[in-house]
Amino acid sequence: MTQRLVFQPHTRLGFQKGINLLVDAIRPTLGPLPRLVAIDPISRGNKQPTLMDNGGLIARRIIELPDRDADMGAMFLRQVIWKQHEEVGDGTATTAVLFQSVYNQGVKYIAAGGNPMRLRHYLETGMKVVLDTLAEMTLPLDSQEAITRLALSICHDKALANALGEIFDTIREHGMLEIRSGNRREMEHEYLQGAFFKLNVNAQTYFPNGQRQIELTDAAIFISNLDFDEPEHLIRIVALAYALKKKTLFILAKRLSPRVVGVLASVNKDPQQFQAVAISSPESDTLDDMALLTGGRAFLQILGDTIASANPSDLGAVRRIWANKDYLGIAGGKGSPLVLREHVSMLRRAIVNTNNLEMRKKLRERIGRLMGGAAILRVGGCTDTEIKLHKENAERTAEAIRSAFVQGIVPGGGAALLACRPILECMAENAENLDEKMAYRILSRALEEPTRAMLENAGYEPGAFLAQMTDGVTGFDVYSGKLLNMAEAGVVDSAGVIQSAVHQAFASVALALTIDVLVHHQQRETSINP
Amino acid sequence: MNRDFVMVDSSVQENQNIVYALAASPGFAQDGICFAARHSGLWHTNDGGMQWQAVQHIPFAPDNFVASAVAVSPNFQTDGTVFVGVPGGILCSRDRGATWTVVTLPVPAPFIATLALSPVFEQDRTAFAATLEDGIFRTVDGGVSWQAWNFGLFDLGVLCIAVSAAYTQDKTVYIGTETGIFLSKNGGRAWQETDFPPNFAPVLSLALSPKFVDDGILFAGTESHGLWYSDNRGKSWQQVLDTDAVNAIWFAADFPKTADICAVSNQNVWHSTNGGQSWLPKIPTATFDATITSATVSGSLTQNAVIFVGLSNEKIVRLPA
Repeated sequence: MTQRLVFQPHTRLGFQKGINLLVDAIRPTLGPLPRLVAIDPISRGNKQPTLMDNGGLIARRIIELPDRDADMGAMFLRQVIWKQHEEVGDGTATTAVLFQSVYNQGVKYIAAGGNPMRLRHYLETGMKVVLDTLAEMTLPLDSQEAITRLALSICHDKALANALGEIFDTIREHGMLEIRSGNRREMEHEYLQGAFFKLNVNAQTYFPNGQRQIELTDAAIFISNLDFDEPEHLIRIVALAYALKKKTLFILAKRLSPRVVGVLASVNKDPQQFQAVAISSPESDTLDDMALLTGGRAFLQILGDTIASANPSDLGAVRRIWANKDYLGIAGGKGSPLVLREHVSMLRRAIVNTNNLEMRKKLRERIGRLMGGAAILRVGGCTDTEIKLHKENAERTAEAIRSAFVQGIVPGGGAALLACRPILECMAENAENLDEKMAYRILSRALEEPTRAMLENAGYEPGAFLAQMTDGVTGFDVYSGKLLNMAEAGVVDSAGVIQSAVHQAFASVALALTIDVLVHHQQRETSINP
Repeated sequence: MNRDFVMVDSSVQENQNIVYALAASPGFAQDGICFAARHSGLWHTNDGGMQWQAVQHIPFAPDNFVASAVAVSPNFQTDGTVFVGVPGGILCSRDRGATWTVVTLPVPAPFIATLALSPVFEQDRTAFAATLEDGIFRTVDGGVSWQAWNFGLFDLGVLCIAVSAAYTQDKTVYIGTETGIFLSKNGGRAWQETDFPPNFAPVLSLALSPKFVDDGILFAGTESHGLWYSDNRGKSWQQVLDTDAVNAIWFAADFPKTADICAVSNQNVWHSTNGGQSWLPKIPTATFDATITSATVSGSLTQNAVIFVGLSNEKIVRLPA
């Protein structure tokens, strides 16, 4: 395989070109009054360009640049932006402009004789100071008003911000929120009480008289992923319910044989006397949660459990249970509240201790199901494209709000980043060598870049306003066109988003500045996902 | 027995023998009205407790219905609102108990353990109903409709409710359950656990300081571990009275200026004059002929106030505060 090697100064020049191209495409989307980016459609049949205002999604769609040196720089940054998007859901444009500013200043300094390795060390030191300063100014997200303001600063949609403000004030950081496409132009939301479990796509329901949904009260529940092959299996569980003097029984099973289904029908002959229904069981960790919720035991194939070994105490109990082919809902499970509280605490600890995004999402879903309710947000619009954009906006905002619950909020509009500058300037004054001094100066200058971009995008000349935003609390409200105390005015950002943007941008750019050689393969490989 | 006591015997049979809840009119000194939720139904007095009559002819309610909870509006003198918990529903009167409407709650029929109204009920129309198995129901339309709000409430066995005096500003509600204490900061729409030790639950009674917004003081009465005190909104707790089940707690209206607090246990009424740090039985020699199951104070805890305690033999006793 033929390879091409690129050395300095071409390495930095090529890298810089790619970074600047990518950031220039994302920069217009920063702030509450963003511009749009039109991207060629992927599908050849559809000629209409896709309109985007999300840095992460724009970066994802920029797959390849013709100049291979530039392409490598762009792809390096694309990965950083995508990581921010995946892990935090917001702050991608901030990450991009921070990265660009440090890279451009860093290249200039290195070209003038600076030491890239020492510069990297001091950039990382400065980054830690910025993160500590942000942590010090972080406040908890504790009221509906604050949540709404935060949502507005992320989604720039008043109706959506109001809805999410109310929803998250109710469900808090781990609550269950389903964002669905609505059938109307307006946005609607509702709350459902109880724990909700999504059933498998091909779930079978065994409800009497071909009913499509069922609701039982004061029911016993047998939780399993076992096959009910023989009528004796069903009779055994019905007998256990009888022993508990229950008149209603809900069975979760992997499969019911036709003979068992026949017996089930005869059991339901007189619903006033006894009613039994069955449904295909969802995945096994869901069954464990259900068992805790209802005070029953989950009978699992993997553990070698059998129906014959079930006892009356293995059945759970619920005040109400309802199901259709998609969902199972439980209200008033009779599990021990203390055990349930301990279980939820354990799941919360697991969330904190995992860096795996998928795992975190799954754990959050499990907690959400056990919280006793769910919120449904139906996002409307005039066209499918509009609904899809609104839905993406809602999902991104919801993710950032969840992060803000855990990590708090900081003054918005770039004020938090500007507030970190004085300490960097002070460190630069006391620096022991030129590399250290320049590193802090570069970071300090970079921290004003998001505000600068935000003002430009909103149609203001940033220079005059930036000069007045030196006290660490004042920021510019692009809606009113006024300088305000951002915290007092309630203009806030998610601390987690800002901290992550700083970390992703500064840690990666410090590394990028130390790249000296590029090696290109003859054949390029591209990927839709970074 | 203390000579200030007035024993009020009911005319109902002994086997229907419990007073679940009592609620005196805030204007008791003028109107002498008090309601009693008894196993034998709803009773009321309008002569300061000398005579009690069963409230009859409530539509949709059977003649011998059980009344498990009762609460009157803080503006009872002007709005005449009374709520009564009955199995599976909530009765509401807006004319001091003359006529009633009923709201049926979702099946299976919840058992209403207690009711509480917002201190500004007349404006916000908000009230809460605690149930033994179904968590909290809330109304924001003066009792026309009730919705379950149990987000974050892992324990649906709710036994008591305390609404902040500054509810309009802080939207704070505490509830005591079988396993601890939960807190809502958004008017009862969502709940979070407090750090009350689960070993000392169930929590039968709660009271927030009238200046809760500033001092963060609350008391919790438990079933078998006495009375507990927190001065940091429930983050940490200390036991201040080792007694049997504590059914009710009241602060002096001008607390902490007047540091009086009363707590009603199964056997006695306890009084503290130093903000709950030390306690003395209010009736040193008295013994009731049954267990105290409920209590109410007329208006707020002042020298002229009257305390009613309900006993497990359905008697109601009137005490000076």
